Amino acid sequence: MQLNLKKNKASKQLLWIGIVSIVMFFGGLTSAYIVRKAEGGWLEFEMPVWFTISTIAIIVSSALLLFAAQNVKSGKSATTLLLGTLFLGILFSYSQIQGWGDLVAQGVYLTGEGSNASGSFIYAITLMHLLHLIGGLVALLITTVKSKQGNYSKDNYLGIQLASIYWHFLGILWLYLFLFFNYS
Amino acid sequence: MMSILVGLIILLSVIVLVQILRVNELVSEVKDQDPNEITDKDNNIQGILTFSIFGVLFLGFVIWQFKYWGVHILPPASSLHGATIDTLMNFTLGVILFVFFLTQPILAWFSLKYRGRKNAVAYYYPHNNKLEIIWTVVPTLVLTPLIIYGLNVWNDITSADTSNSKVIELYAKQFNWTARYAGDDNTLGKANYKLVEGLNVLGVDMEDDTAQDDIVTREVHLVVDKPVLLKMRSQDVIHSAFLPHFRVQMNCVPGMTTQFGFTPTQTTAEMKEQEGEDFDFVLLCNKICGAAHYNMKMKFIVETQEEYDAWIASQETLKNSLTLN
Amino acid sequence: MSEHHKETFLTKYIFSLDHKMIAKQFLITGMFMGVVGMLMSILFRLQLSNPGESFAVLEFFLGEKWAPGGVLDPNIYLALVTMHGTILIFWVLTAGLTGTFANFLIPLQIGARDMASAFMNMLSYWFFFAATIVLLCSLFVESGPAAAGWTIYPPLSALPQAIPGSGLGQDLWLIAITLFVVSSLLGGLNYIVTILNMRTKGMTMSRLPLTIWALLIVAILGVLSFPVLLSCALLLIFDRSFGTSFYLSDIIINGEALHNTGGSPILFEHLFWFLGHPEVYIILLPALGIVSEVISVNSRKPIFGYKAMVGALILIAFLSFVVWGHHMFITGMDPFLGSVFTFTTLLIAIPSAVKVFNYLATLWRANIRFTPAMLFAIGFVSTFITGGLTGIILGDSALDINVHDTYFVVGHFHIVMGLSAIYGMLAGVYHWFPKMYGRMMNKKLGYFHFWVTFISAYGVFFPMHFLGLAGLPRRYYTNSAFPMFDGLSDINEIITFFAIVGGLVQLLFIFNFFYSIFKGTKATENPWGSNTLEWTTPVERIHGNWPGEIPTVERWAYDYSKPGAEEDFVPQNVPLKEGETEH
Ligand code: HEM
Ligand SMILES: [Cu+2]
Ligand SMILES: [Cu+2]
Repeated sequence: MQLNLKKNKASKQLLWIGIVSIVMFFGGLTSAYIVRKAEGGWLEFEMPVWFTISTIAIIVSSALLLFAAQNVKSGKSATTLLLGTLFLGILFSYSQIQGWGDLVAQGVYLTGEGSNASGSFIYAITLMHLLHLIGGLVALLITTVKSKQGNYSKDNYLGIQLASIYWHFLGILWLYLFLFFNYS
Repeated sequence: MMSILVGLIILLSVIVLVQILRVNELVSEVKDQDPNEITDKDNNIQGILTFSIFGVLFLGFVIWQFKYWGVHILPPASSLHGATIDTLMNFTLGVILFVFFLTQPILAWFSLKYRGRKNAVAYYYPHNNKLEIIWTVVPTLVLTPLIIYGLNVWNDITSADTSNSKVIELYAKQFNWTARYAGDDNTLGKANYKLVEGLNVLGVDMEDDTAQDDIVTREVHLVVDKPVLLKMRSQDVIHSAFLPHFRVQMNCVPGMTTQFGFTPTQTTAEMKEQEGEDFDFVLLCNKICGAAHYNMKMKFIVETQEEYDAWIASQETLKNSLTLN
Repeated sequence: MSEHHKETFLTKYIFSLDHKMIAKQFLITGMFMGVVGMLMSILFRLQLSNPGESFAVLEFFLGEKWAPGGVLDPNIYLALVTMHGTILIFWVLTAGLTGTFANFLIPLQIGARDMASAFMNMLSYWFFFAATIVLLCSLFVESGPAAAGWTIYPPLSALPQAIPGSGLGQDLWLIAITLFVVSSLLGGLNYIVTILNMRTKGMTMSRLPLTIWALLIVAILGVLSFPVLLSCALLLIFDRSFGTSFYLSDIIINGEALHNTGGSPILFEHLFWFLGHPEVYIILLPALGIVSEVISVNSRKPIFGYKAMVGALILIAFLSFVVWGHHMFITGMDPFLGSVFTFTTLLIAIPSAVKVFNYLATLWRANIRFTPAMLFAIGFVSTFITGGLTGIILGDSALDINVHDTYFVVGHFHIVMGLSAIYGMLAGVYHWFPKMYGRMMNKKLGYFHFWVTFISAYGVFFPMHFLGLAGLPRRYYTNSAFPMFDGLSDINEIITFFAIVGGLVQLLFIFNFFYSIFKGTKATENPWGSNTLEWTTPVERIHGNWPGEIPTVERWAYDYSKPGAEEDFVPQNVPLKEGETEH
């Protein structure tokens, strides 16, 4: 038991420090964005509505996940809530892709003649966020399956905790990026 | 054939080495010693070696290099700001060499003096706050003037007034330099990389009035004691305009213009007298830029006002060279 | 400990989860890459000292295409320099050094059975291995390996038209580095968590050996800076493969005007050096840790000023994040920023000086036992002083104007980072070899190896300062294009001579290493009389490290020659005697 607690703590720390390095990664990208923007020749454009939908989807998904974790802690099943989270996560990914479609329709391209760094940055950064999010989806999928199999109990829910930390982090990261694109 | 021979030789030497080591170990075994134990004799030999090689040979080599290779060091700067850099350099070098010749001998001396003996016991001395404070504070005190002095020189160089300087553009591309004088109006005509075509190697916008009197050249002539402002552009990759004799260096970056202002203080003729007939001021490329990076050069000539006037008068303005033929 | 799995050859030597085996995997891969990188430097040194001359070795290694008639091709010269730098910095002195000693020492010295996540640890090695394979593959592509310098500044690294190495070779380079960064991050996360969580009873932070402190700080540096390198490389990959304009602007190459506008190569430099500078400390700090340990053990004295040593490490690490601009003084950056970076850079000299004086104070009134490891540690102090001092010139923006990117820089960084870290690594190998393999390395070969290395290393790198002061730029295929450098050929010949001697003697070390693994004399449990916990483990090296209970720690690691003790060392697991105080 003692050893188990120690292990749980270590796993969470691993995740937290991993998150720190992801923060540095996006910190690098967004500071490149700021530096580049300050140099001028910057194309301004409207953020696609689909990104707002993404934002709502990911916030709601985080809320569902919170309830799911609550359920497990009090010994109830979390499978339905986890499925809901997973669904919203997929909706998020879908709306990201739709958002890129909107951007293209606006004439904002990733590359080629007439593309601008401001557009390229949006694509590159959101793509990187989406890649990290796909990792989160995989984690959620695993926890959902495990939850369905009844692998979690009142005193064994480390998997859900870890997945939650990462998923909430991705949500906050997206919120940061969304506000950053809109207001920086 | 050759490789087989080499392979054989390597194999043989490995076998020989193994045998030597085996014999060595067997001998020690007979004498009932551990061949890898560090004995007092080892400590003596290594202590003496450390002293003589760290403390005598190496330091002697350093002095020897200054004596015999010192001549290769660049001659004193041929520019106003360069002289201040040289003084700063000498001052810094003095401090550094002092610390170097203080600490390295201590290291060598301690290694000899305190080489181990079986029955000796080291002095248990885990810390001494006073000492540690001293050697935090002393380096700080030494560094403070170095930093302040250095920053002063840097500020003077970078904030020099260039409003009266003659403007010359250096244009870098794989793998050569082109220069452009701003002409009588001392203003460079606008340029755009999309306009580079045929004779217009710099992409100068000939619609621009200030471009008409610009002069494109393949070497740079400067008037002694007259300030110049070099403006750098690049066509393809990063290059760096390096004029070691003037203590001038600035990167040339595609998509932006950089600049460096200075005042030459010695003519080429004076330098030839001082350094030998072969001497010439030269511009090198100092940022890796491709296969012929090592061979990207342009001559700089510093001369008197009259010589310069005669030379510049013989050059064609862009208006003539681009539009008339 | 009942953690006994059935072991097959595959799980024991290849997909091992045991931190000690993973450490050896890192070490041997690192040594192999070290030989490759060193060989490259000797090949291009031949061209530098004898420009345009024909050498059979060049043709032998590079073939008719890259060394036609035995003369090195200029593009391949740059490719060799680039791969040499990349291999030594990342493969040998980051993965080879930290990977080896962090994996080996962290669990052993803090009293843990293994890493927090043994699986991640194994993964870290296999990512590194994959990176190695990709990098080695790039040596065999038609257009040659990456050639834009280890700093891969765009646009040169972005445009295959600018240099052939920026084609497929650069792609492979970027893939290799990405894998490498993933490996380092997996490793780094694990090191931090292990040190924070898995210490045995009594091992408080203030009793940690300095090696562990150094490795902890290195891991933190890595976790904070490698992701930024990744983001920097990512944008470059976009520019190269998808035609974006993050770093590219207004370019005509091969007579063709590119569409890219608005990008900034300077942006790349900022992102790159934000990693790049901490990276040189990622290389240096483990060596500082190892050397502190080796010097203390072999001086039979406590390391002088333990707290100051830790403080200096932390300060150096912190400062290393705010000095990156000293690589960019002459990019046309705001002169005020230049002043700030000069100031922060020169500040690093203070904690560095403290370290040096503390080492000297440790040697004072010591009872020095000259093992080969100790000689390398003393050699480290010498190169750290020499290289640190020339750094004061380079860090001063006004002086950097005329020495930036010259051979002065090459001399400086090889001495302070290359030699110091290599000495630290070799000291570590000699010192911990008995624990790694249960046998001793041959002492006489060790002495010979050290002296030839020490002499030839200074013989190679000290004269480079004079080349630099004569104005010779680095990354030049030959200096014969400029008459002003004609007088330098004797210096160049001496450098090449020492480079060959120094390179050959490393083969002797490798011989000693493998010979001793199989035939070296048997080691005892604690051959050096050390205090740290790894020396309480049995010579047989078992999975789980200690056969019984993990020892508890009762004191710091540096009670050497303590008055009142029976022997001149008191291991960390020996309880304090009645009335004895901790240092
Ligand atoms: C046998 C020993 C070595 C020799 C003879 C050697 C020689 C050289 C030389 C002459 C250059 C400059 C080439 C040029 O600029 O044209 C160079 C570059 C470099 N070396 Fe070494 N070196 C050795 C060991 C090391 C070590 C131990 C390191 C580890 C830090 C290292 C790292 C580098 C780096 C980073 C570069 C710069 C590469 C670049 O410009 O992209 N070298 N080496
Ligand atoms: Cu160039
Ligand atoms: Cu740096």
